[in-house]
Amino acid sequence: MTIKKMDTKKNLFNWTHDRSKYPEIKENGEADIDLTSHKYVKIWHGPNHPGVTGNMALELTLSGDEVVHAKTHVGYLHRGFEKLMERRLYIQCFPTCVRLCVAEPDYNEYLLARSVEELDNIEIPEAAKWLRALSLEMARLATLLRTVPGQAGTLSLGMGVQWGVYLRDLILDLFEELTGGRVYHMYIIPGGVRGLLPDGFKKRMEEVLVKIDEFQKKIDDLIFTNAIFKKRTIGIGVIEKHMVDSYGVVGPNARAAGFARDVRKDYPYLIYDQLDWDIFTLKDSDVYSRSLVRRSDLRVTVDLIRQIMAKMPDGGDIRAQTPNVLHWQIPKGEVYVRSESSRGEYGYYVVSDGSKTPRRVNLRGPSYTHAVVLLEKLLVNANIADVHSIMVSLQTCPPEIER
Amino acid sequence: MEIVIKLLYVLLGLFIILNFGMFMSVSMRKIVARIAGRNGVPFYQPWIDLTRLYATRDSISHGIMFYLGPVFRLSGGVGIFLFMPLIVGSQYFSNFSFAGDLILILYFQFFGMLGMALGASESGSPHSAIGVSRGLSQFTTVELPLTLAVISIAIQYNTLSISEIVNAQQGGIMNWTVFTNPFATGAAMLSLLGAFSHSPFNLIKAPNEIPIGPPTEYHSTFLGVLRTNAAILHVIEAVLFMNLFFGGATNWVELMIKSFLIYFTSVFVGVAFPRFKIEQSVQWFLKVPLLLGIIAVIIYS
Repeated sequence: MTIKKMDTKKNLFNWTHDRSKYPEIKENGEADIDLTSHKYVKIWHGPNHPGVTGNMALELTLSGDEVVHAKTHVGYLHRGFEKLMERRLYIQCFPTCVRLCVAEPDYNEYLLARSVEELDNIEIPEAAKWLRALSLEMARLATLLRTVPGQAGTLSLGMGVQWGVYLRDLILDLFEELTGGRVYHMYIIPGGVRGLLPDGFKKRMEEVLVKIDEFQKKIDDLIFTNAIFKKRTIGIGVIEKHMVDSYGVVGPNARAAGFARDVRKDYPYLIYDQLDWDIFTLKDSDVYSRSLVRRSDLRVTVDLIRQIMAKMPDGGDIRAQTPNVLHWQIPKGEVYVRSESSRGEYGYYVVSDGSKTPRRVNLRGPSYTHAVVLLEKLLVNANIADVHSIMVSLQTCPPEIER
Repeated sequence: MEIVIKLLYVLLGLFIILNFGMFMSVSMRKIVARIAGRNGVPFYQPWIDLTRLYATRDSISHGIMFYLGPVFRLSGGVGIFLFMPLIVGSQYFSNFSFAGDLILILYFQFFGMLGMALGASESGSPHSAIGVSRGLSQFTTVELPLTLAVISIAIQYNTLSISEIVNAQQGGIMNWTVFTNPFATGAAMLSLLGAFSHSPFNLIKAPNEIPIGPPTEYHSTFLGVLRTNAAILHVIEAVLFMNLFFGGATNWVELMIKSFLIYFTSVFVGVAFPRFKIEQSVQWFLKVPLLLGIIAVIIYS
């Protein structure tokens, strides 16, 4: 851990020029914090705290308003998802795996289905690929409608969040039409998907997308051109370039640091190689840049859904022939499959021992690296007022950490 | 006998202000909800909340000072009310205003804050300590431009009596201080944003940052007392600004419309801006509002 010198040139009144109260750094790089010295105070953000996303806690040691040490604590949610799946038939794993990330469950069902298909060499029909891509992009859209304005919500500008939540509900309505479920869909199953588009779905989707276009203009005016929002987010929570690889930073957080990384482009799956879009990157790598990258992701997602709706076949097979799911023995082997979730690379490592149940299912979620090691690093030297903002800018999903 | 009648009118005025304060707060919540695309709470919600809070008892103890915090806070709010003339020319709704009431009211504004700070500190929560230091830092800088604006209009009208300041503004809209002394009005109206503690100046409770402490530890009757104070204080502070800068009110309807609009200013700003950090807030008040206050004093000195 290193304690940076404050840039006093930008600090008009030089509020904290005296840093003698800050901890010494020991030889092992740890800060030498003596709580009995009364120079520091320890507070907990979480597990029940509006400034923490989900069931986790931050143990913060403060010197004044500044964080000198941060530790992430999980363990409030552990239900042993991965272990549970080892004792269930593959088809029974689907209702379990979606709980690995409540906000964006579809990627779990897609990756588990794709793992099974790769292990058993099943090729899914073309129409199913488009419908899967549609489902995944709708899930991304539903997430971004909360997280893009949610960044301003961390700073008490909650209006955009409320507009976004309303629109997210409209997307959930469409999910209900398509899959029968609002939050957990289990629409993607091994071999394909469970159903075709309902009649008039495309028209209703376009009506919602038009509303989202208007929403995007409104949040640009409300949030991204807002002087105080910029003041609170520019230069805060900077991820240095050298940290991107060493800390396993992916997705929007990596793109905001100048790394054009997107699994949909780097390792195309489904029909993404037939769609046209560019990867948006920035270089400043602060909270504002990450917000802008997610703002761009929102625009791109709406555009991709329109492209999918225009290019997808109107009918055709949606499921490949598969054995009876109750007696399906998956061939022995192991596979790692990945997709680009709204938070970045989201992968499943699945091992089969040739039986009806998986030998091992392991999730590689971006939150594990972002919310534990990276967050602990970024919070050092941060103001207590910026803790929530930095955490949300990394878009953490605690269930991903506790599998 | 006259003092008894006066006291009854003061209590009537307090009752009206309390209820109008709750109506004003729920109206603001409804307006904000409509902008957000929601219906919002029903209009009777604040009365239900207050009744429920006063009917609940606390089962743990944080020490006497902790419980006196809300009492000090309420004393501050009611203290301002007692010396605030409400209706121009009304013998009974002028409350106990006197020649130097303006100075006393400025003092009472800080009194409640200090009492609350003592109470919150007693809770022992580190979040309270952060909230208290933030609150006192911000309120000190809020008071600076406001005090300069008050000094400016005191020089302008050559009095420290709110009643006399209101009387001097009668006779037409162009006599209002907002037109005769726009710099002082500007400084005070910007201070008003800090006084009402809506975003970007909602640093004391600071949802998402330090929400643990007084807002959660004060509950039951103590939260009821704080809610009562908030209802009174929001109206009476708006009335203070109305009296000083917007010509006062000749009847209750005028008072309600003007104070509603003054309070709405801070709510309007609050829904459009995120929160400052404490150092940003302090610096903000020490720049434009302070400068306007200094100019206002220089012009009239």
